[in-house]
Amino acid sequence: MDLYEFMRGMLRGQRWGKVLSSPLTYQLVEKALLLARGGFRWRATYLMGRFALTQTRRAYTGKVPVVWTSAFFPVEIVWGLGLCPFSPEVAAAFITSLGFVDRALNRADQDGYSRDLCSFHRCIAGAAADGYLPAPAALVASTHLCDGAPLLFQNLAGHYQVPYLLLDVPYQSTPEAERYVADQLAGIWNRLSEIAGRRPDPSSLARAIDYSNQFRSHLEAVNALRCRVPAPIQGSEMLNYLYVFFAGQGHEEAAAVFGCLARELEDAAGCEDRERFRLLWLHLKPYHRGELMHFLEEAGCSIAFEEMSYVYWPPLDPERPFHSLARKVLSHFAYKPLQRRVAVVDALARKYRVDGIVHFSHWGCRQSCGGSLILRDALQEKGWPVLLLDGDCLDERNEAPGAVLTRAQAFLEVLEGRKAACGGMGEQ
Amino acid sequence: MITGGIDVGSLSSEAVLLKGGEILSYSIIDTGADARKAAEQVYQAALERAGLESSEVDAVVATGYGRLVVPFAAKQVTEISCHARGAFFLFPEVRTVIDIGGQDSKVIRIDGRGNVVDFMMNDKCAAGTGRFLEVIARALELSVAELGMEAEKATRVAEISSMCTVFAESEVVSLIAQGVPRPEIVRGLHQAIAERTAGLAQRLGVVPQVVMTGGVAKNSGVVAALSQSLGVKVLVPQEPQIVGALGAALLAQKVVQS
Ligand code: SF4
Repeated sequence: MDLYEFMRGMLRGQRWGKVLSSPLTYQLVEKALLLARGGFRWRATYLMGRFALTQTRRAYTGKVPVVWTSAFFPVEIVWGLGLCPFSPEVAAAFITSLGFVDRALNRADQDGYSRDLCSFHRCIAGAAADGYLPAPAALVASTHLCDGAPLLFQNLAGHYQVPYLLLDVPYQSTPEAERYVADQLAGIWNRLSEIAGRRPDPSSLARAIDYSNQFRSHLEAVNALRCRVPAPIQGSEMLNYLYVFFAGQGHEEAAAVFGCLARELEDAAGCEDRERFRLLWLHLKPYHRGELMHFLEEAGCSIAFEEMSYVYWPPLDPERPFHSLARKVLSHFAYKPLQRRVAVVDALARKYRVDGIVHFSHWGCRQSCGGSLILRDALQEKGWPVLLLDGDCLDERNEAPGAVLTRAQAFLEVLEGRKAACGGMGEQ
Repeated sequence: MITGGIDVGSLSSEAVLLKGGEILSYSIIDTGADARKAAEQVYQAALERAGLESSEVDAVVATGYGRLVVPFAAKQVTEISCHARGAFFLFPEVRTVIDIGGQDSKVIRIDGRGNVVDFMMNDKCAAGTGRFLEVIARALELSVAELGMEAEKATRVAEISSMCTVFAESEVVSLIAQGVPRPEIVRGLHQAIAERTAGLAQRLGVVPQVVMTGGVAKNSGVVAALSQSLGVKVLVPQEPQIVGALGAALLAQKVVQS
């Protein structure tokens, strides 16, 4: 059964708030999810679906206060209070996969959000205005990496008339910066507990930290297994696990998703036919119906690894939750001088023995695309073929489909020529 | 071995028939609204000129934005690879190819074997492309073919600040109203196109020899301005518009051999 088609049918032409706050909806989707289970390539996908469904029910049925968290905010804080984090960026990708993004984007257009902004944010703004999203008790955004989220969240706090909390992350990662971020996290933890009327419980936070560490080590196991050729799982599949990456860290079920995936990958055989070219994928992928991912698959490309799955942070210390979360936030390799991202990408490209690197330059994402030309030059200097592929993860109107495919195909022709000439970097 | 190359572009379509290293015939037509029909027509025209039947052609490779709608093609290859291959065939020392087509421009860096090393495309808008020149020529009451000669008459260069097709058209109209001589305006436009293209090329790195392909290369004014902006002589094939189709026909030889 096509789960997406089922959900599309449930939501089409309906008032989402009404449908999504009804317990019956979740009973039906849970049944549909169970029926669809056999069609998933990985049981881990089913586990993620179940986890996301449970949390969506909690969020929409008002059982527990919902805290909106921006993509890079450490959600362990929210899980550690027993609250329900909601990642609107992930919701935007999901709305797009369901085929409803145009409505949300049009609404954002009408409300005056510029088309130059990231479509994740425009989709969120439109969906919020249309009442698609669960009402938050508070919104928390972090200033590192994504510069659009704090502004959007501030706007939406006005829309929902709820508190807006900001985590200010300095660019330099010094001991003072760590203390500064840790103090703010402790403040946010206290403030959220007040807003939600919950007594802050350090042992519950320590548990969330523990689950986050489990998530981390399972992800490392997954990444280690992915060094195999042929690739046991595709980057395009990993980029479907957005929910656990951005909303799950700190919850045991998110850790279980990657625990399960690691076990499954141990015996998974990759597909030889897809090893014509091995690619390293930077940033996100399109979640709309565009043909790019299908084209790459047909052309025999394997997305051997993607930047998003790289474990950049050290294990957390349950005894010092705020400090270790501060360290996690500050250690993001893309929130540093560009040389750091270059070094990480170069190392990943070597580790996963790729033939080329594709940067999916999502329209309006300054943190990822701002330095892309310099990134490309630096990686090319190291001998990597690099394609900067301009596109949009959600808004197809920002893409010229022919041009995206022509660039992708031309890049594969470049890789073909290199392979014929020298056997490719992967052989080094 | 006889092979064919079909380049279905946004404005025009070209076909080349090749026997070994010799071009047997070629044809160029407007693409119009139906790319598939254009591909068939342009191929038929080339066959007729060469006095050949399609059954005598060993393989055809299609390129250009309409490459996927050429039913008789054995393979589809992008215009990037085809322009590189065609330019390399004509100029074995070429290392940079600049192709300004109907709706986009590309800069392609190639190695000593004619393989593409890197490329950049500007296809976000029609600024500085064949479509742009068509619109501006119309505003100046000239044909595109006349633009090059018109520019040669200029003693000065008018400054054109906008490269957006719509804004540039109104800027040109107001320059005419101010009495700025037409050759100066045309020269200013060529310079603006050249600077924009040179910017794209310099981002990739310009290594001589530089060859310009695509319909806009027929405009000697743009070529001269581009040579000046890049500081290197820009070479132009005798028929720059068929270079993509020629490259496709050359790649079709590989298809036959494989
Ligand atoms: S794509 Fe970039 S701008 Fe958009 S939400 Fe993600 S980080 Fe922010």
